[in-house]
Amino acid sequence: MEGSILDSLGKELIGVMSPVSICMLLVVLLVSILSPSSSFPSSPTPTPIVTAANLVYSENPSDSTTQKFEGALLNAAVFIVLIAVVTFILVLLYYYNFTNFLKHYMRLSAFLILTTMGGAIFLSLISHFSLPFDAPTCFLSLFNFSVLGVVSVFGRGVPIIITQTYTVILGIITAAWFTQLPEWTTWGLLVALALYDLVAVLAPGGPLKILVELSQSRDDDLPALVYEARPTVSTSSGGGRRNGGLGLLVGGVSDNSSVELQNLATTIGNHSNEEIAVDDERERMRNERSDDQGETIPLVVANSSEIGVVDEERSPLVEMVAGEGRDGGDGNEEAMTAGIKLGLGDFVFYSVLVGRAAMYDLMTVYACYLAIISGLACTLILLSVCRRALPALPISIALGVIFYFLTRLLMEPFVVQTSTNLMMF
Amino acid sequence: MTVAAGIGYALIALGPSLSLFISVIAKKPFLILTVLSSTLLWLVSLIMLSGLWRGFLPFKSTAWWPYAILVFTSVCFQEGLRILLWKAYLRLEDMLDAFADRLSKPRLFLTDKMQIALAGGLGHGVAHAVFFCLSLLTPSFGPATYYADRCTWMPFFLISAIIALAFVTIHTFSMVIAFNGYAESKRVDQYFVPTVHLIAGMLTLINFAPGGCIISIPLLYFMAALTLIHCGKMAWRRLVDEQRRGITLQ
Repeated sequence: MEGSILDSLGKELIGVMSPVSICMLLVVLLVSILSPSSSFPSSPTPTPIVTAANLVYSENPSDSTTQKFEGALLNAAVFIVLIAVVTFILVLLYYYNFTNFLKHYMRLSAFLILTTMGGAIFLSLISHFSLPFDAPTCFLSLFNFSVLGVVSVFGRGVPIIITQTYTVILGIITAAWFTQLPEWTTWGLLVALALYDLVAVLAPGGPLKILVELSQSRDDDLPALVYEARPTVSTSSGGGRRNGGLGLLVGGVSDNSSVELQNLATTIGNHSNEEIAVDDERERMRNERSDDQGETIPLVVANSSEIGVVDEERSPLVEMVAGEGRDGGDGNEEAMTAGIKLGLGDFVFYSVLVGRAAMYDLMTVYACYLAIISGLACTLILLSVCRRALPALPISIALGVIFYFLTRLLMEPFVVQTSTNLMMF
Repeated sequence: MTVAAGIGYALIALGPSLSLFISVIAKKPFLILTVLSSTLLWLVSLIMLSGLWRGFLPFKSTAWWPYAILVFTSVCFQEGLRILLWKAYLRLEDMLDAFADRLSKPRLFLTDKMQIALAGGLGHGVAHAVFFCLSLLTPSFGPATYYADRCTWMPFFLISAIIALAFVTIHTFSMVIAFNGYAESKRVDQYFVPTVHLIAGMLTLINFAPGGCIISIPLLYFMAALTLIHCGKMAWRRLVDEQRRGITLQ
């Protein structure tokens, strides 16, 4: 009996959502474990940490609301300007073909994040649980862990699952660090970043737009930290790429569209570049052939039948020609797997939002999680409609912030009132 | 020790849904999406309700009738929402069927439809448990526990977990019953669901009396069992019918 269409529908959505969920879950756990003790050992405990994000104004709980608000705005503005400058420098470097420099720079920043920030978090974890752990072992394993991470970031021939794991780990570490920021600054920063993201990806001349277009015209990987939700079947990233390119040639469509890029200056002053790119040439091709109803279906279409076809169809040219006559249904383009790409920056700031919500209550965490995930789903559906690079932050962050405050102001009193009286419905 | 207790409370409320999720839902990505969107819908409905009631809370008097009105309006609102959900589901079903035709795959099976209904119900149930029980569990991980005034036999968290489990069951399976009732346009099933929901909501009002939880919890579980049995019988009947029809067709 043939399987029903439900079996594989929406696989790509889940492929992106599950790592984001894992990342958020772990950040929430980290925050709720560490926040009572509230200090990573490396940060100077009495004064709040000074980062790129609160250069101008350091928030004080005793300040008045207007003071906090203005300070948060100022901080956000400075941070955004900083990010914009760094992104432009990166784009310039990429434009003049310093790709190797960029890659090594990314590797260096990944190494620094994993060793210093990851190490600090690890130390505070073992001191919180008072686990005995001797220094040489700790140093050696941390070093090994970081080196593997660096190799996996741009490595060819590393199993995709390791690359994915390390991308998520980098996201968790950075996000956990960002949750150290004071409250108002965090909110200001998140909103400002969402706006910046919108401009940088969509506006003509936006740095990330330029970067994505450049990398597409060169048919090159983006020199940035990206999570690729590629099916694990494909052997190496190189192979997947080549196949995708060939498929594009045959199909006569332009290159893959990427979703978004975004850049982030981390606390210790190194910058890691992040982006999201989505290759949805498959949907595009599919739609060229049967462009009757392209609105909500295409994302679904592309997902429907990619099981089992991947290995046997290594000659896309032939298959494409053969597939031309039929309508949809066949899994040919799906053979050229190139999944959705989501920038690390989005991982980080989704998790920052949820982590910040975790400092208030669990209820806000659930609300924000649902809001962010549904925002992500909206973005992905939009992506299949628009077929171009899209910013992933704005919808999710907007929904997340709205739900946070609605939950905190409206829902919590209601739920607490009813359920402490054991009233439910 | 308290961490273990907190996890235990959470598992009491959500354990059955968790196993349902792993065994049925998690295999099919589309069902996961259904669960998520139905959870979101429930959250939105809760936020709207609380926005509605925000002006009147907290109740100053200790009378029970404001709560009765509150529960009544909430149940009515959510049952109205269920009809909306059914309308949305019909459109979704059309889209999926059209899509299946294009892929020349079989249309949705009866089991598929039931699974979608189950996923929708599970989303509602999980949302209920999460917001009414799980989100209040944070203090239970701390060094102390908390007893409600009117029910001093058990910690408050345990009671709310037990009640939440009953509601999770009711929500999950009443969605299957309701969708089926709409599909077959059977009046009994269509009215069965709101009635059960309303009765279950009203039963929690018994908790207002001192020691009322001793009575209300067994009654609540009776309602849950009723929903479960009704759903089981209905699913069995439909599946047997379907099989018989399949045989005669061949």
